[in-house]
Amino acid sequence: MPERVVTVVPEDGLHARPASNFVEAASEYDIEIQVGHVDGDLVNAASMLAITGLGVTAGEDVRLVAEGQEAEAALDELERILSTPEGEG
Amino acid sequence: MTERRLSGVGATPLSGVGTAVWYAPDAELGSPPDPETIDADVERERFETARDAAREEIRAERERTAARLGEAESEVFDAHVQFLDDPQITEGVEAAIGDGLPAGHAVDRTFEQFIEQFEGMEGRMAERADDLRDVRDRLVRALGGDERADLGSLPEGSVVLAERLTPSDTAQLDPERVAGFATVTGGRTSHAAIFARSLALPAIVGVGTALRNVADGTEVVVDGRDGTLLIGPDEETRGGTAGEEAVEVRDGTVETADGAPIEVAANVGTEADLASAAERGADGIGLFRTEFLFLDRDSPPGEDEQYETYREALETFPDGRVVVRTLDIGGDKPVAYLDLPDEENPFLGERGIRRSLGPDADLFETQLRALLRAAGEEAGGELSVMLPLVATVDEVRQARETMESVAADLESEGVSGALPEFGVMIETPATAFLADALIEHVDFFSIGTNDLVQYVMAAERGNDRVAALGDYRQPAVLRAVHTTVAAAQGTDVWVGMCGEMAGDPDVTELLVGLGLDELSMSAVAVPQVKRAVSETTVADARELAARALAASTKREVDCLLTEITR
Repeated sequence: MPERVVTVVPEDGLHARPASNFVEAASEYDIEIQVGHVDGDLVNAASMLAITGLGVTAGEDVRLVAEGQEAEAALDELERILSTPEGEG
Repeated sequence: MTERRLSGVGATPLSGVGTAVWYAPDAELGSPPDPETIDADVERERFETARDAAREEIRAERERTAARLGEAESEVFDAHVQFLDDPQITEGVEAAIGDGLPAGHAVDRTFEQFIEQFEGMEGRMAERADDLRDVRDRLVRALGGDERADLGSLPEGSVVLAERLTPSDTAQLDPERVAGFATVTGGRTSHAAIFARSLALPAIVGVGTALRNVADGTEVVVDGRDGTLLIGPDEETRGGTAGEEAVEVRDGTVETADGAPIEVAANVGTEADLASAAERGADGIGLFRTEFLFLDRDSPPGEDEQYETYREALETFPDGRVVVRTLDIGGDKPVAYLDLPDEENPFLGERGIRRSLGPDADLFETQLRALLRAAGEEAGGELSVMLPLVATVDEVRQARETMESVAADLESEGVSGALPEFGVMIETPATAFLADALIEHVDFFSIGTNDLVQYVMAAERGNDRVAALGDYRQPAVLRAVHTTVAAAQGTDVWVGMCGEMAGDPDVTELLVGLGLDELSMSAVAVPQVKRAVSETTVADARELAARALAASTKREVDCLLTEITR
């Protein structure tokens, strides 16, 4: 199952605009995508509630896991969002 | 306390002073009903509908905020939409409905879990709890129903402040106890504004989010004449504004300063409106909406019941004219005993005359029988019949044939009746274009500007985002009015106008200049429009109309009108 670990760059962490962009991108794919702290439980990446509940801050590492068609493409896009500083997305 | 002012759009030309009371319809949900009484499918559907409505609202709020405060401030609403559509919320609500809860309680229970979770977290996550509350309140409000606070029992002298007031909200307001209202959203032709006019309540709509800073219990003046809300008025302002009746009531027909008579009539939508129309000096009824006879009941009104209602209207205006519009109903209004289609866009669907000549032919005949009988009464004023949402000459011809065959039936039964005046409401661009072809089939036209504006401009009524388009000062609308009036010139066909435009004293001179014979409006506007007519001369009015018809932008029209009223 494709997965990767990404360091969260935006100053806001997974909150506000970056979180919205992240959830929006994850919802575009018709496959299951999960996200979580590196050593923690994974949650649905298309759920704003779940993402907000993770409370990820800037500089933290998160684990992304996707399964199904286009899994790699989805992970590429989500990684790009997480590693783009705010205001440049 | 020093005075502060907020501005919005005046909905009625009246002012009132009172104590601010915030109307929050989501206050208490009460205990859930017995699960046995819950139909899960119905509740799921209600939830879906409420979610769609809430999503629309949030998007509109986002647009407004972006315009007022900038893009960055509006981004929070993107998150609100994402909370609203969150899969965990959907699952939670559906599970709760499955457990036998009604939609409102299911929403409340689902959100509560997450609100608690977020509140237990630190810093910015905790702030998100407020966003969730906001989304939940929207949903619960959209689920409305019987779960609203009681607007009927407010203390006397209350000024109701609210995000928005639905037609059912405003309908509950008692003008004896409520001094006025002001809302965050809404435009001049929103339903709340129209209801305010029919209740003669001072009202301002579209004040914006600044209204939220006005605290409960504050003394305020609602001045609908210029659309301002005064917060903490000083004694002088208070004395100058409170309870002032705008203009004196005049009975009898008014003429322009150079002697041209203009009939000033009222629009009514209930029996109670008749009395208020007469009190305010209306010459007659220019639009008698008959929907109220048909709504909120299990079976259609019979011929005798309708006859009594129409006769009563004629008796209220013994020297005037009562223009009765035949049933104008479509998929936007629920009527239990009619099989109304579920249409994507009911305002462009099977409604008005389309139903009367189609599935509701029986109802149409019964209504015509009652109308013809009332028209045959010696006592009382003159009755006219008007067809709604006409688009073709064939519809008019067919309706006329129906009316004539109803008259023949009455005669053969030995029932007394008479053929009333017969006319068409001009509210589709089609009828404005076809006015010259319709002339030979009718006795009058009445231009229904609310729908005409909506159809000419393709701008939905009550949609804030297209409010500037949906304005009767748009040159395209003025030209549609002109085309209609011009077709009738030199014939016996008279042309009236029933719609918000007719009740706006700022455009009375323009309407006289365009050649309207009759203006019909919410009763509350009658005295002001009568005064405006008497201050107009036909020569000046025609010049103004010619200049307005030459205008190519709404801005030019606005400038012309302010020049005049200055």
